[in-house]
Amino acid sequence: MKNSKIKKYIMNLTPLLGLAVLFAAFLILGTVQDINISYGLKSILSQSVVVAVVATGAIFIYTLGSFDISLGASTAVSALIGGIVYNKTESLLVMTLVCIGVAVLVGLFNSVLASVFNLPVFVTTIAMLSVLNALVLVLIKVNGTGSQIAVPAAAVRSLNNTTFKMVVLLIFVLLCIFVFSFTKIGRMQKFLGGNPVCAKLSGISEKKMAIIAFVMSGIGVGLGAFLSIVYAPTLTRNTASSVGMDVIIAIVFGGMPVSGGARSKIYAAVIGAFSMTLLSQIMVMFNLNSGIGQMVKAAIFILVVFLATSGQRGKMLPR
Amino acid sequence: MKTKNKNIFKQIAGTAAIPAAAFLIVLILCSARGVKLFETEGNWILFFRAAASVMLTTFALSLNLNSGRFDFSIGSVSLLSSVISASICTSLGLPTIPMLIISIAAGAVLGMVSGLIYVIVKLPPIIVSLGVALFYEGLAFAITNGYGVSFVANTELTSFPSVLNYVLIILFGLLIFIFLFDHTKFGYEYKALVSGQKVAINTGIKEVPNAILCYTIAGALMGVVGFIRATQTGTIQMSLNFGSIGVMFTAFLPMFIGGFIGRFCNEKIGYLLGAITTAFISLMYARLNVDASIQQIVTALILVCFLIYLNNENKVIELVTLKQYRNKKTK
Repeated sequence: MKNSKIKKYIMNLTPLLGLAVLFAAFLILGTVQDINISYGLKSILSQSVVVAVVATGAIFIYTLGSFDISLGASTAVSALIGGIVYNKTESLLVMTLVCIGVAVLVGLFNSVLASVFNLPVFVTTIAMLSVLNALVLVLIKVNGTGSQIAVPAAAVRSLNNTTFKMVVLLIFVLLCIFVFSFTKIGRMQKFLGGNPVCAKLSGISEKKMAIIAFVMSGIGVGLGAFLSIVYAPTLTRNTASSVGMDVIIAIVFGGMPVSGGARSKIYAAVIGAFSMTLLSQIMVMFNLNSGIGQMVKAAIFILVVFLATSGQRGKMLPR
Repeated sequence: MKTKNKNIFKQIAGTAAIPAAAFLIVLILCSARGVKLFETEGNWILFFRAAASVMLTTFALSLNLNSGRFDFSIGSVSLLSSVISASICTSLGLPTIPMLIISIAAGAVLGMVSGLIYVIVKLPPIIVSLGVALFYEGLAFAITNGYGVSFVANTELTSFPSVLNYVLIILFGLLIFIFLFDHTKFGYEYKALVSGQKVAINTGIKEVPNAILCYTIAGALMGVVGFIRATQTGTIQMSLNFGSIGVMFTAFLPMFIGGFIGRFCNEKIGYLLGAITTAFISLMYARLNVDASIQQIVTALILVCFLIYLNNENKVIELVTLKQYRNKKTK
């Protein structure tokens, strides 16, 4: 009994151990190759922060056992509209609020569409992915030079530092931890994800919880859009293009169960996002072909998730 | 007798309604702009290529999705199998048919590997498919050093696109799929597992070989899709970071349409008709020079509207019946 508890505890810690191992590998390789480790770490933090923020908000959706494939496209659209608004108002505050507002509206639209018309959330987000990707092209065509929308680099230069980005991430993570672990909302979401039938019979409104989840995710997407502008103020059709899938990978890599429920945890998103960026950076340090780097990344991804969930496998094949 | 005739009529009408309506709408829209839908041979080729490619992708997607296995990797299987077959054929100077066979074989092996990983690691299929998609994309990139494959100058391989060839692919694909899933032990076991995993296993059905075979078949189908895409332009471009998953999204609308039509006829024929419906729409986009972004929005709206109808069908019918009842009462 005691052994199984210890085993379970170690399994839960696997993603964190994975991050520690990757960090150690980065330090060792960096020292051997004589690279500027402090600069490298800052770069990793800068690259991870957008995925970490978006993924942290998305945990609320994953907890319900759903998932949203349109988060990357939503980040891009929010950033583009934020950029357009900045160029009109020259106010960073308005730009930030517009980024968050647009992302929350997209999330609300998704959740209301799914709730009112009884559609599976995943399908609405697939449709939304197409619409948002198209909107990216339209926005750039109509409001930009045809290939980009540029926010003056000088306007965001003062914010483009690791401390500011980490503060934004920390505040958002703390907000999410508070809502998730210290309010009824978090408990109800875990209950719904774990056992939807019982949760509904207990009087928990699935629609209300879905809307809250998408709003929280929208805030994360909005902040991610804002940080994307800060990191790269020239916005193109490739802005945040990989964020959508990176978020899914980060969440799973961080130890979040895809089925949601009671084992969901906010910190999974942050651990996953940093682990994936560290892994990519290590591949670069090995000077591997991009393709081989991606193959190694894929193998490590499967291995870590396999180890982290080794205590949870049933007799039947999972679906 | 009357009831039997009525049922047959209902079945025919239900089967043909969506593609016929799509054809009519597309025809009206094109006529309004003074454009003929099928003017040149190229238009026919485009139509049948879209129908063949989408039908096979729909089969591959639905095959695992109906069993609750979401597979993000089908696009990467299509990419890698076409890279393997095109690389072998261009280096050995082989013609089209061997390229098709190698593509199918490579797709089947890649699908089987994907299935084996799934049954060995026993992780949720969505996670496995993400890892596999990343791996196959990386492998395709590594094989070609990121340059992709080009055989534009190889007139033998690029001569494949023709109406007859695509029609043959559609017919063979449909017949083999119907045979495998409606007339074999594997197909019966597959259906049993779809409708009740636990009960099916308790009755002695072996889920593991069934799942591996499903992935293998899906892989072979995507091998054909990869071949169709490669021979279309004579080039294969590389994708990294999930760039290959876009292929999968082309199959959602025909899959749902096929599911609806499947109430009136064989579900596989439903998928074919779903693919034909989307092929009409694709041809209309091409003939009317519709902007790519508008295409994406319109297709997404059609998907959402169709799903809204499917998920609220009873309410819609109730509403219409109530209206008719009220109208009668007022008269």
